[in-house]
Amino acid sequence: MSGTKCTRLSGAPVRRLLDSVDSVLFDCDGVIWRGDQAVPGACRVIDLLKEHGKKVFFVTNNSSKTRRMYAEKMSALGFGVSEEEVFGTAYCCAAYLRTVCELEGKKVYLIGSAAMAHELEAVGIRQTGVGPDHVSGKQGDWAAVPLDPDVRAVVVGFDEHFSYMKLNRALQYLLREDCLFVGTNRDTRLPLEGGKAVPGTGCLLQAVETAAQRRAQTVGKPNHFMFDCVASHFGVQPERCLMVGDRLDTDILLGSNCGLKTLLTLTGVSTVADAEAHRESGCAERQGMVPDYYVDSIADLLPALQG
Amino acid sequence: MAGAFGFKGCQKIRGPQIRGLLEAKDFFLFDCDGVIWHGENAITGAAKVVNSLIRHGKNVVFVTNNCTRPRENYVHKFSRLGFTDVMLDQIFSSSYCSALYLRDVVQVRGQVFVMGCEGLRRELLEAGVPCVEEADDGPDATIYNCTLAPDVKAVLVGHDDKLTFLKLAKASCYLRDPECLFLATDNDPWHPLSGGRILPGSGSLTAALEVASGRKATVIGKPSRFMFECISSQFRGVDPAQCLMVGDRLETDMLFGSNCGLDTMLTLTGVSQLEEAQEYRNSDLTTNHSFVPDYVVDTIADFLPAFEELEEQND
Repeated sequence: MSGTKCTRLSGAPVRRLLDSVDSVLFDCDGVIWRGDQAVPGACRVIDLLKEHGKKVFFVTNNSSKTRRMYAEKMSALGFGVSEEEVFGTAYCCAAYLRTVCELEGKKVYLIGSAAMAHELEAVGIRQTGVGPDHVSGKQGDWAAVPLDPDVRAVVVGFDEHFSYMKLNRALQYLLREDCLFVGTNRDTRLPLEGGKAVPGTGCLLQAVETAAQRRAQTVGKPNHFMFDCVASHFGVQPERCLMVGDRLDTDILLGSNCGLKTLLTLTGVSTVADAEAHRESGCAERQGMVPDYYVDSIADLLPALQG
Repeated sequence: MAGAFGFKGCQKIRGPQIRGLLEAKDFFLFDCDGVIWHGENAITGAAKVVNSLIRHGKNVVFVTNNCTRPRENYVHKFSRLGFTDVMLDQIFSSSYCSALYLRDVVQVRGQVFVMGCEGLRRELLEAGVPCVEEADDGPDATIYNCTLAPDVKAVLVGHDDKLTFLKLAKASCYLRDPECLFLATDNDPWHPLSGGRILPGSGSLTAALEVASGRKATVIGKPSRFMFECISSQFRGVDPAQCLMVGDRLETDMLFGSNCGLDTMLTLTGVSQLEEAQEYRNSDLTTNHSFVPDYVVDTIADFLPAFEELEEQND
């Protein structure tokens, strides 16, 4: 079985693969766009898939935008997409807190963006506020910082206003054993051109987990919850679904965890060599990161779609 | 003493056994928080213990992972709390030792990007180690538009209550250069304040930066051996067999002692409980045995009867 995995997708197998699925899930960054530029041919691929009667969804670990903000960005780049087709971790985290943690009507301590606050409020979950939060006073004051008794969970997403004080407040809440601990995702870096690297949510989450000596439940890829969100809204059958992504440890692993077919595109983070290393490792846990197929870019699907 | 199979005793000891230790050892290393004092309050009897040790001609040093104050502050604090005769050169903090590491071991040429507080920067500057100036980034500064300092040869992470996302981002940019060192004052995930409260420690910031950079930090403070090497170097060679390390935290103080080949004593006035030590001792994992103390006391004031007996003998 493992010998047949991670093969280049081209020629007749492309059409066969597309015919075998009714839904296609795309990661965004490194798959359909890079930074603020659409991947050449990506818009046409999405349009043609829809013309062929496929359902198309977008699944991203990025928590800084609401679904509406994503839809707006995608329209601006030329993609024909509606809000309901986009699943970011701001939206999915709110859904998780409402459905799994049953926190509707309750409150959370939030380290995250305005987008996360918005998605939480949309499902009736209150949050403690976003934006800057700096230390003042003395060390003794910080440890004795007043805690809101209504807070039921600490929620961590991407926050450019992350600070020691926010880390401290999260720690103080998490010392209560019945306080839940949820993170959007563990991505270590945000992709950025120009040689600079931006720390991802995974770093902020690690800081809080280390201080509190507790592990968070994460909502984003590769956890299956994001696929569950899509499936529950749209009745998607795993075996008739294709996951297209650029990261083996999030996108492809999500696909494997949920029983989807998987396609790696090489316009982003992971390489074929990375995938082959997992395949040859002999380690069962790493096999989930081996895609069924790979392409240089999703534009490689065009010939089969246009034919 | 460690038993036949290197098995640590974890035994509570009293008068005669403590007297035996006082006679056998001539170098006493003490952690501070939870051992000598709690915040601004000395542990009852601690000053008398330390003063007595010094009067009996023992070497006494203080080894702390706390990197927030310069050593002069500690000298004043000791004096304030009744510890007479504690000098600057008896105090080893992780910030002081980080400065020594950069100046003497690495001999750093170029600047150091510091994520830490004023106390840490002072120690570096006093040692002549150049630090990147704390940038006056405006409120609109982001990683996309900020300037990075040239010639940064090391990133040093400590306790930084002025941590911002931008600092984390800058540090991870500097660490993209494999020639740039990655140092941490200590790895404590949290540290205790008086009254049972805790605050996030350097370890949590170091963990964030390790994830961001994909690199592991070199840790200066306990349980790493480096602080003992600083002590040994300053006292022109210290024989581990002559030493007793007294601390309150199994994962830092006891492991430090174990790593340096010192006998270890846990005092129960701080972080770790006797039950935790016993759990480590009973563990199947042999690596856990390094957390187990040789000896245990309720408080270092338990040394006092042993001194009284020694004094009676001498009379």
